[in-house]
Amino acid sequence: MRKPSIPKRPSELALFVLARLVVAGAAALILVPLAFMLSASFMPASDIVSIPYRWIPDGLRWKNYLQALAGNDGSWLYARNVLNSLVVAGAVAATTVAISASVGYGFAKFRFRGRNLAFMAVMATMMIPFETVMVPLYLVVVRLGFQDSYLGLILPFMASAFGVFLMRQYLLGFPDDIVDAARIDGCSEWRIFRSVVLPSIGPASATLAVLAFRQQWDNLLWPLLVVQREEMKTIPAYIVKFAAEKSADEGAMMAVAVIASLPVFILFLTLSKYFLGGSAVFAAGKE
Amino acid sequence: MEGKRARWGWVFVAPGLLFFSLFSWYPIVNAFVTSFTNRKLISLKAPKFVGLQNYVRVLSSEDFWNSARATAVFAVGAFVPLLLLSLLFAALIVSLRGWKRPAQMALYSPAVLSSVVAALIWLVVFDPRGLANQALNGLFGTPGIDRRWLADATMAQISTIVVYVWKYVGYFTILFVTGMGKIPDAVNEAALIDGAGPFRRFFSITLPLIRPTTVLVSVMILIQCMKTFSTQYLFVQAGAPTGPIEVMTLAIYNTAMRDLAIGRASAMSMLLFAVMLLLSWLQLRASRGGEDAL
Repeated sequence: MRKPSIPKRPSELALFVLARLVVAGAAALILVPLAFMLSASFMPASDIVSIPYRWIPDGLRWKNYLQALAGNDGSWLYARNVLNSLVVAGAVAATTVAISASVGYGFAKFRFRGRNLAFMAVMATMMIPFETVMVPLYLVVVRLGFQDSYLGLILPFMASAFGVFLMRQYLLGFPDDIVDAARIDGCSEWRIFRSVVLPSIGPASATLAVLAFRQQWDNLLWPLLVVQREEMKTIPAYIVKFAAEKSADEGAMMAVAVIASLPVFILFLTLSKYFLGGSAVFAAGKE
Repeated sequence: MEGKRARWGWVFVAPGLLFFSLFSWYPIVNAFVTSFTNRKLISLKAPKFVGLQNYVRVLSSEDFWNSARATAVFAVGAFVPLLLLSLLFAALIVSLRGWKRPAQMALYSPAVLSSVVAALIWLVVFDPRGLANQALNGLFGTPGIDRRWLADATMAQISTIVVYVWKYVGYFTILFVTGMGKIPDAVNEAALIDGAGPFRRFFSITLPLIRPTTVLVSVMILIQCMKTFSTQYLFVQAGAPTGPIEVMTLAIYNTAMRDLAIGRASAMSMLLFAVMLLLSWLQLRASRGGEDAL
């Protein structure tokens, strides 16, 4: 590795300066709307549209947050909807990891007839856009009687083809010897999976869990289809309704936005490795 | 012994196969079949087979071509800045020594937000008295002009593109940074010693070497843009003109849930699927071995 030093050649010096300026400028510009969300969430609505905009609020107006959680009608629906989002995204993350690990392990470490065909068939589902299957999926969930329920929100996302792919790739590199040694020691197949394989797939699980959680945290289309009752809605569906209300206060709106962003930002700041980890973001498939 | 182990393979795979048959294979077959029927969402009558009628009707309707145009405008309008900016930012970030990670995190941070939250923030920014007008008026010295971000037809299209580029430019930058990270340091150092400048190194070394990444990311951007829904849905709900931003996904949703015509909605969704398949196929052809791009 070269040491960071200021280059002498003029063209390299230009790159050195320009790179810093452009990247810093772009980063600042990109962070402006986020800063706006945060500062506006503590302002009365009249200050938010003041010209010129004053970035520092006069005081911390926590009332906006109270109003955001309580809603315009004092029903506390938003608090309930945030809880729903946590339950759904958390459950989807857990089941996606569990099912993908099991299937990925089966594909990676066992030889059986039809294995390649089954694997290809699973991979092919990555090509299917959610928009194409959403209506039939909706009909399936209706027939099962799961509208307006957590099950209905969770079921179609309990496993992902990308997750199977990720786990299989990861486990292909897991030494066969360890599995065989456990077998010779008399471990049952189930026990091997649970006590030998599962503990060793930490990074792949974290990547997949973060991805699945965020996708469901972001999901608007499916909850719009499958949930009619207000108290079963998730955050995105609530926000759409809230934004369309004419009486909505802009300060409370931004407080709603901050509350909706907190959990994912906490994840981002603590697990940024799994957000920025390259191949993980190659999340084809369900949005 | 071998047979017993093979059975265990099936045991581990079975729950997944059950899941994918119920929630992927069955629905896609069902959507395909439904697209040839006059099925309604709430109807007691059994759906009838109508042949290609849905496709004929969809392809000859003005609304369909309007949303095809809206999708194309959005996809191309977001694709070009996304690809160019993320390439530029990645090339510059790779050239940084320190501060690489904070820079990446800052650029990436909007991608962490939900699409709906991103749209909500910009809804307030695009307010007639909001930041967007203030910034442009300050820049051009034109106080008091309202650019009608969410009221004018063309501006509404531009606004959705702005939101999308803002949200995803960091995400695609990271993909390019990963791709460029695979280029051995030695290659660039040799070029440096030979006297190649930054532009020369970018166009003669970086760009050719990350070609698989570029192809893969281009297709990802296009496909993702074609699936955009949340921004447009929120803006329309908040009062923006529908026509110019009624993208395909929004049209499918409205056809199915408002008009209850799921036969026709299925036909539209099969057409969308076909276009995406075509794009993926083009990608596969353009870069054999695309899977080891990253």
